Amino acid sequence: MNVPEPRFRISRHRRTAWLGSGLAAVFSVIGLLVSWLNPGIHAPLKPGLDFTGGTQIQLERSCAAGGCSAISAPEIQRALASLTLPAEPGESSPNLGNASVQVLDQGQSLVLRVQDLNPGQASALVQEMQAIAGPLNPESISVDTIGPTLGQQLLKGSVVSLVVSFIGIAAFITFRYDGVFAFLALFALGHDVLITCGAFAWLGLIAGVEVDSLFAVSLITVAGYSVTDTVVVFDRIREQRTTLADLPLTEQVDVAVDATLTRSLYTSFTTLLPLLGLIFFGGASLFWFAVALTIGIAVGSWSSIGVAPTLLPVLAKSKV
Amino acid sequence: MARQQGWLALILALAIASAALVLNVPPPLGLDLQGGSQLTLQVMPSGAIKKVEKEQLEAVKEVLDRRINGLGVSEATLQTVGNDQLVLQLPGEQDPSRAAKVLGTTALLEFRAQKPGTDSEMQGLLKLKRQATAALVQTEIKESTDPAAADSAASDSAQVKIKAEELAKALEALGIAVPPGSSQTESLELLLSTVNQKIVALFEPSELTGKDLVGAGRQQQQAGSGWDVTLSFNREGGEKFAALTQNIAGTGRLLGIVLDGRSISEASVGPQFQAAGITGGAASITGNFTADESRDLEVQLKGGSLPLPVKVIEQRTIGATLGTENVRRSLVAALSGLVLVAVFMVVVYRLPGVVAVLALALYSLFNLAIYSLIPVTLTLPGIAGFILSIGMAVDANVLIFERVKEELRSGNTLIRSIDTGFSLAFSSIIDGHVTGLISCIALFALGTGLVKGFAVTLAIGLLLSLFTALTCSRTILRVLMSYAALRQPTYFLPATQLPAKAS
Repeated sequence: MNVPEPRFRISRHRRTAWLGSGLAAVFSVIGLLVSWLNPGIHAPLKPGLDFTGGTQIQLERSCAAGGCSAISAPEIQRALASLTLPAEPGESSPNLGNASVQVLDQGQSLVLRVQDLNPGQASALVQEMQAIAGPLNPESISVDTIGPTLGQQLLKGSVVSLVVSFIGIAAFITFRYDGVFAFLALFALGHDVLITCGAFAWLGLIAGVEVDSLFAVSLITVAGYSVTDTVVVFDRIREQRTTLADLPLTEQVDVAVDATLTRSLYTSFTTLLPLLGLIFFGGASLFWFAVALTIGIAVGSWSSIGVAPTLLPVLAKSKV
Repeated sequence: MARQQGWLALILALAIASAALVLNVPPPLGLDLQGGSQLTLQVMPSGAIKKVEKEQLEAVKEVLDRRINGLGVSEATLQTVGNDQLVLQLPGEQDPSRAAKVLGTTALLEFRAQKPGTDSEMQGLLKLKRQATAALVQTEIKESTDPAAADSAASDSAQVKIKAEELAKALEALGIAVPPGSSQTESLELLLSTVNQKIVALFEPSELTGKDLVGAGRQQQQAGSGWDVTLSFNREGGEKFAALTQNIAGTGRLLGIVLDGRSISEASVGPQFQAAGITGGAASITGNFTADESRDLEVQLKGGSLPLPVKVIEQRTIGATLGTENVRRSLVAALSGLVLVAVFMVVVYRLPGVVAVLALALYSLFNLAIYSLIPVTLTLPGIAGFILSIGMAVDANVLIFERVKEELRSGNTLIRSIDTGFSLAFSSIIDGHVTGLISCIALFALGTGLVKGFAVTLAIGLLLSLFTALTCSRTILRVLMSYAALRQPTYFLPATQLPAKAS
């Protein structure tokens, strides 16, 4: 059979590829460690409301045509510190002194983060905010409260579902492919998830970006995509094994990567298009979710071309 | 060929049915898209029950369902989650504090007789309770009004100040340590709750509880602006109530009405009831309630007390405008994503690209139809799952068409290339979709509400994309290939990439 000469030989660039991935991985680990050692965060990733528990209240001020009157975060913080909300029987009234306040969109919207309030206290706080920063748009208020035990439950649930889905994927891949292939597919998966986490560790350190349950979902999705991408390349290598048996493994890998390259790039691109739609038009609630997926899918596509296949000849050497 | 036409007819029929379904029964929107409140209630173990079981959860739900009906909130839904949680959804509700209060209290009503020989102690405590309550009301007025109005209340403040010293004395006498830095309101509340506990301790254990009630109502007091809550007992309850009141009639001992361990009313029973007690199976609680309080208590008593206490552990409230805004934004995001993908596919894959776009349009329609059919409540993460599954659906088409191109390049005929392309791409498509489904199952089984929504739409998308890529794309392509005019390899590949005809 006529073997097409690969237009692009990934093996010739493998040292550059490994160096790039290695650096990205080291950079990610440093990000996670720095975040862990940071006294303000104390975790590899900055946990959001979902995991820490608390109440987040988002308010929109209805301003006259001339724009909103100036209001600053410290001003609101001072006003909050002097408030007393109705207490639950047997408990003291919540302390609002350490509330975090963000003023967004030229003072048009406000985000308050306080300890977890019961629904009555949250409504009372919204009422008080009318006096502090009013008038508010009553239809544009959002209140999210996560109790501290629920936060721990959500964190545990996220970690467990991450671990279980990784194990499930690993089991399926080991069942479909033999040892080295399965190992490399999972290695690439780890690589992609690590770099996505690393990116968010740095985002958390620099821009205060927090991770929530949706971030865990995006990690699981990235894992699924990463394995799919790698599998497509490996599927091709396996398919060609008989026809290309005379060639060294490095050559086989080059042929397979070259044949699937267009597909890998196109698929990542067509997946990224809707995600870009989400980033630009999807609004704040899904913004960081889409960003995490974009990073993860881009890295996943990279590792399925540059990392997993190029490592195959190295690891399989002892066996072939 | 007949087989292709059969498939085509099936696909068309499905498309028409889906469109009709989606138009008539649009998929339900989650609270984050229509605005409203969602509360998660955790059932807490209490007393002898160390772990909440399914039956106890159901028992709690039954009581809460009755209370919700009593509240008269339309469209409210209450669902059990796992073994010990309940999720209450209140569409359109911006302020769930009342619902939370009515549903969140146990409302265990007890009628208890005062222990003999505790008269003087009781009188002292009741006096303290009255003073503390009055002082608390005054401080609240002072704190809640603006400075101008506070001036008018200044005359009362002298009284409150005197009370401050008495308060300290009273607190000391009861052996209460006030945490440093507490405001006067806080110390007053502390005093009040301690006094209440002491009062409750002076009553005998209860023989008659809210279980023996058949009804509850409310009426405005004839003198004063407060409200009373009226009760009617069943036969057994009426007898118990008569016996209880007969016991203490004329002795000066009080009848305590205790709600959730808090004494809400202490009544004396006159000597005229010594013969038979208060009969007739009716009673009223004179607790000086406000109109709202009396209505809430009525709803709670009618619904019965909760067998186990509950606690609100999660609240999500979203304004209606924000919901509409979310719908608009996610529509724009989904549509712009789809349009970009469609343009890309047509530019890169030419005729099959057009087929893929048709298949994708069908795919989106089928997705919506399934959401209406099951029904799947659409939430923001759910829409994200759908948008992401578009990527997966496109990938299947890309895999197939890349294979078709390869076959064409190596000189195969058009029809053979198409068939080989579909069969060779099959294994990769299956592997990819199965891995995706494994993640979905893990997410669905272990995730919470929001995460579940994502897993469901992504899983539906994955299953459907298997169908549309392998069946719809293929059928449409085959049917198009039956027209000789469309059987041009250049509709698939640029002429330069085709092998020379001669070879």
